[in-house]
Amino acid sequence: MSKIIAENVNVYYGSKQALFDVSIDIAEKEVTALIGPSGCGKSTFLRCLNRMNDVIDICRVEGSIKMDDLELNSRKLDVVRLRENVGMVFQKPNPFPKTIYENVAYGPTIHGIAQSKEEMDQIVETSLKKAALWNEVKDRLDEIGTGLSGGQQQRLCIARAISVSPEVILMDEPCSALDPIATAQIEELIDDLKKEVTIVIVTHSMSQAARVSQKTGFFHLGKLIEFGSTEKIFKNPDKQQTQDYITGRFG
Amino acid sequence: MNLILVTFIILLAFTSYYFGRKKALVIQSSQRLTALPKFYGYYLAAWCAAPALIIFVLWSVFEPSIVKTFILQDYTDQNLTKNELQLIYTKVKALAVGTYTGNITNFLDESANKYIQLKGIANSAKVAIILAILIFSLSFAYRSVQKNDRMREPVEIFLKWVLFVASLGAVLVTIGIIFSLLFEAIRFFQAVKIFDFIFGTHWYPAKTFVRDGQPDPELMKDAFGAVPLFAGTFFIAFIAMCVAIPIGLLSGIYLSEYAGRGVRKYAKPIIEILAGIPTVVYGFFAALTVGPFVKEIGNAMGLEVSSESALAAGAVMGVMIIPFISSLSDDVITAVPQNLRDGSYAMGATKSETVKKVIFPAALPGIVGSILLAVSRAVGETMIVVMASGLAANLTMNPLESTSTITAQIVVILIGDQQFGDPKTQSAFALGISLFIVTLFLNVIALSVVKRYREKYE
Repeated sequence: MSKIIAENVNVYYGSKQALFDVSIDIAEKEVTALIGPSGCGKSTFLRCLNRMNDVIDICRVEGSIKMDDLELNSRKLDVVRLRENVGMVFQKPNPFPKTIYENVAYGPTIHGIAQSKEEMDQIVETSLKKAALWNEVKDRLDEIGTGLSGGQQQRLCIARAISVSPEVILMDEPCSALDPIATAQIEELIDDLKKEVTIVIVTHSMSQAARVSQKTGFFHLGKLIEFGSTEKIFKNPDKQQTQDYITGRFG
Repeated sequence: MNLILVTFIILLAFTSYYFGRKKALVIQSSQRLTALPKFYGYYLAAWCAAPALIIFVLWSVFEPSIVKTFILQDYTDQNLTKNELQLIYTKVKALAVGTYTGNITNFLDESANKYIQLKGIANSAKVAIILAILIFSLSFAYRSVQKNDRMREPVEIFLKWVLFVASLGAVLVTIGIIFSLLFEAIRFFQAVKIFDFIFGTHWYPAKTFVRDGQPDPELMKDAFGAVPLFAGTFFIAFIAMCVAIPIGLLSGIYLSEYAGRGVRKYAKPIIEILAGIPTVVYGFFAALTVGPFVKEIGNAMGLEVSSESALAAGAVMGVMIIPFISSLSDDVITAVPQNLRDGSYAMGATKSETVKKVIFPAALPGIVGSILLAVSRAVGETMIVVMASGLAANLTMNPLESTSTITAQIVVILIGDQQFGDPKTQSAFALGISLFIVTLFLNVIALSVVKRYREKYE
């Protein structure tokens, strides 16, 4: 079942076009990986899904992106509600310079989710548990989040993202700043999370895409070249370009 | 004479630079150079200028005191005090250059002739020695150039020393200023007890003035109490900060987070123009426009307002400080990494929530640092308070009354005629050093806060 349907999405930065007629169906409670060489537009597309491109003055998005029949690329859209439903994890871990507890409680606070201190404690605990970080930090929730290791920081950011129970989580190269062990932990986490949420992940690592995703889309020069099940893309792609990229002949 | 000598040395150094470079090009035709040709030029120029200029400076420093010793040798049998000897020497010098107007005794005339003679010898000796040094050092350097010695290292070492001397100069001047403040302040505290200065509540140095003779110690006790001045200083700075912090901070936040590129491009320089207005202009603006205005408003409300009020001075000072706070806080807010903003927006936070909950706390140490720097600026500000807040040191917390500050009192003490060695004059040094300690303290805290903030993101 489709969670997000994008049709003919074009994105411009000023006069430069970054995405050309991208159409894609993202299935619910699956992991969709977007791969492609740097500058191919995969992150730009990802940022369309929670309207993060709004932050960039010169960016303009055309086309239709529907999430459960809600048009995302509409002026009237309540961006705050959208982002409550579509969380995001960034390339570089970016916990706030606040305590671990406050980092996780940030979303529930601004959206008024918790009614009491107990409820907030519960949300923080569950989020950290889901992010597989609880055991490491349960005794030091009042320490500053930026003091954690890189992998822990990224899991804290995932905990922060899931604290408001989003339906979709976008991940923009979440492991590129992490070592292999931390990467393995995050990948395991992604596998667990997909039981409840739809995940779209941008990655530079093809082995990571192969390991964690069910569907893969290959971007090149702002165009979606090929999109299909991960198995098919990696074993038997339709397009020569995809084949070349996957086997490392260009990119 | 000296000017010609120095010009000559410098010209010679330039010439030797070109000569050295040319020589290097000649050497290049037969063997491999040890450095770029310009290093040969630098090497010669450095050897030409440095020894000669060092000797020149040392000579100029020591010559006067040596000449003085020679002249005053003739007076040693007269049992004169140090001050009297100094007076005689001044007279001799004046006579020698023809500006003396008093009675000329034979003895004085003789000394003056001797002075002229000594000066002549000294000058010729100086020229001779410096020329000799020039020849010696140049020929030494030229020989090493000819031998094609290594050129890079000596030039680098020379440059290191030049930089060292420059920094040493800056440090020594600072130390010198502090010590001169300190010594005069110590002399002041010999006349006035430090306790009376720090805790006394009455500042009225004019009443210690006595024509010919020492002032009454009882009067002294009650004339130099600095409490009203410290209170006035901090009170006016407080009023200034009440104006500057909200406006500066809010405009800083607006400029960094809300303003579009176009607005920022024009608004920021305009705000910074405020910092470029000379303080004396702010001063008469405060005294002639704001002061009377405050008085009029106050009178209309039935309050008694003096035409020189702490409020007028403080408010104008606050306006002066706005650009410090807005510009510095704009900078520290802009320095907050974009990924924190992204993190907050991606959670669905609005702009104001992001500013309030993420950006402001992250930038807070830097903002506090900028506020402390602004406070130390306000405490040290002089012109506005001299013109607009009055000169009588009232101990008051009423912003509508006139009050005075440390800086304003230093001005009052030191304008017009003053006697050195008088406690009234020396009190300026005591005030100066207290002000110095206060601002130093504020700056140290501010810088350490700012530094800690920097470490966090790098």
